Amino acid sequence: MIPFRYNIRSLLARKATTAATALGIALVVFVLATVLMASAGIDKTLGSSGRADNAVVLRKGSDAELNSNIDAASVGLILAAPGAKLNDKGAPVGVGEVVVVLALEKIGDPGFTNVLLRGVPDDALAFRSGARVTSGRSPKPGSDEALIGKRLQGRFKGFQVGQSFELRKNRQVSVVGIFEDDGSSFESEVWADIDTVRSGLGREGLVSSVRVRLESASKFEAFKGSVESDKNLGFEVMREPEFLEKQASGLRIFVTALGGVLAVFASVGAMIGAMITMYGSIASRQREIGTLRALGFPRWQILLAFMLECALLSVCGGTVGALAATGLRFGSFSMVNFTSWSEMVFTFQPTISVIATSLIAALAMGILGGFLPAIRAARVSPIQAMR
Amino acid sequence: MNQAYRADVRPMVRVRGLSKIYERGGEQLKVLSGLDLDLAEGTFEALMGPSGSGKSTLLNIIAGLDRPSAGSVEVKGEDISHLSEGALAAWRSRTLGFIFQSYNLMPVLTALENVELPLLLTSLGGAERRKRAETALRIVGLEQRMGHYPRQLSGGQEQRVAIARAIVNDPAIIVADEPTGDLDRQSADDILTLLEKLASEMNKTILMVTHDPVAAERAKVRHRLDKGALIT
Ligand SMILES: Nc1ncnc2c1ncn2[C@@H]1O[C@H](COP(=O)(O)OP(=O)(O)O)[C@@H](O)[C@H]1O
Ligand SMILES: [Mg+2]
Repeated sequence: MIPFRYNIRSLLARKATTAATALGIALVVFVLATVLMASAGIDKTLGSSGRADNAVVLRKGSDAELNSNIDAASVGLILAAPGAKLNDKGAPVGVGEVVVVLALEKIGDPGFTNVLLRGVPDDALAFRSGARVTSGRSPKPGSDEALIGKRLQGRFKGFQVGQSFELRKNRQVSVVGIFEDDGSSFESEVWADIDTVRSGLGREGLVSSVRVRLESASKFEAFKGSVESDKNLGFEVMREPEFLEKQASGLRIFVTALGGVLAVFASVGAMIGAMITMYGSIASRQREIGTLRALGFPRWQILLAFMLECALLSVCGGTVGALAATGLRFGSFSMVNFTSWSEMVFTFQPTISVIATSLIAALAMGILGGFLPAIRAARVSPIQAMR
Repeated sequence: MNQAYRADVRPMVRVRGLSKIYERGGEQLKVLSGLDLDLAEGTFEALMGPSGSGKSTLLNIIAGLDRPSAGSVEVKGEDISHLSEGALAAWRSRTLGFIFQSYNLMPVLTALENVELPLLLTSLGGAERRKRAETALRIVGLEQRMGHYPRQLSGGQEQRVAIARAIVNDPAIIVADEPTGDLDRQSADDILTLLEKLASEMNKTILMVTHDPVAAERAKVRHRLDKGALIT
């Protein structure tokens, strides 16, 4: 076989073109890895959180909490359905919450941006096992105090402990704490007392959703059957992970489609770049290749060697691009969630599968881009050695 | 036939009725017209002739790099004109050593790695390959330069590395197309001395194309190619 070091050193001998081509591939893989990391970040926030033993009750036909309205009087009815877990005092574990959109001034962005505001009962933090206040304190029940989700902290005017924002004209709510919830979408919300939200925004007597803790995940069907049985009330019951998955799908399809189109076009560009580089390299190595052929190296070995050379070039570039992309893991990006038209903040997730996919894409670019040039190399006549 | 061949010794190379016609733009160019040539085992023979007379064409055909339009080339009794492309490549690696006018070393490989190259087509292990490559470099007097890259060597030294590469497989035949064409007189002299030695001491059959009469003088037999035919 033609020794691999022949290809490695041939690449190194053409430092400038090799570096330029590898850089092109690095850029493309950077874009690809970023898209994949963003998609994984959306998944982590919206797709894979939620508890299997939580049920979410909405008004039938409303896919999101924002356009769901349930009579506050029905909350007790829902919580009394079979399958709901009872606490040590014998009361069902669940929360009825109202979700609204607030247009606030985003820092560094002119105009107003929507933010999700959740009116929560006193036990909302306790209901969510991962939720906790990380700085400041919990609001006093029944007060005009609010918690800011970690990801929104500092992103809008007034979103710091000790500051305040307007619920509506002349009604200030003061921020007393910051909370987190294992990276879930709640971290992109503002939480205030449910009565404050209802009275401030004219939602008296309504909730948007009811979340119910079940005795176990297997009690879901029984609970759903009971709650949905009264067609006049018109409720829809979903498992919480399923509900969150549904919220994520629009955004994920958008990111994947946009990123996918971007990545495909960029990949084709990088592949053509690698192809041109290899064609150039092979053209200037006609005599070397002819000599290898004269010495008796068969065509297929020449083909293989040049495909490997291009694959190596690509994978080196791809590794640089993927590594650079993982640097984004400390950053975050915000998008408007299509189901609520409000700002959501996501992190980039450099998972193993993201890295593996990026490197495989780089390898594929190398193999596909190197194929035609390698065929040309394999076709070089041994007589070229004599010229 | 213009030469009396010894009937008792079968030649190493036996060319009969060899023609080569190139087509260029619908025009036919007859370079070789039905020539015969024998190369005896263990002799150093030179092929001379004016530029464009077809010396390289003849050498390429004998070396299995090119195919004749008509006629036969027998090497060690085997007709090579019927071998397939792949079989011909394998045959070259077993039977032939090549020496080129511009040395044709791989610039990214060291002298030792260049010499080892033909052995990568054999089943020899790494240690044995290295040993043989070192031996070949010792024969050409470059045992001190094994780790050097071609750009670190003089032209004469490069050509000696190429000779080591040509003999490392222990081929029966060595073909050389203008091996001294790019060298100064002294280096050319060293190369020619080496070729003489390979023929006389290692029993190699050597066919050297040259247009330099001084170089041709060193060969034991001289053939002259003119207008597609041989005068010996
Ligand atoms: N592949 C080819 N196609 C067409 N003509 C060729 C080809 N190779 C060589 N020739 C022609 O054949 C003649 C002999 O070439 P060559 O064997 O290289 O001569 P020499 O080595 O004696 O200088 C020249 O006229 C050359 O132009
Ligand atoms: Mg010539």
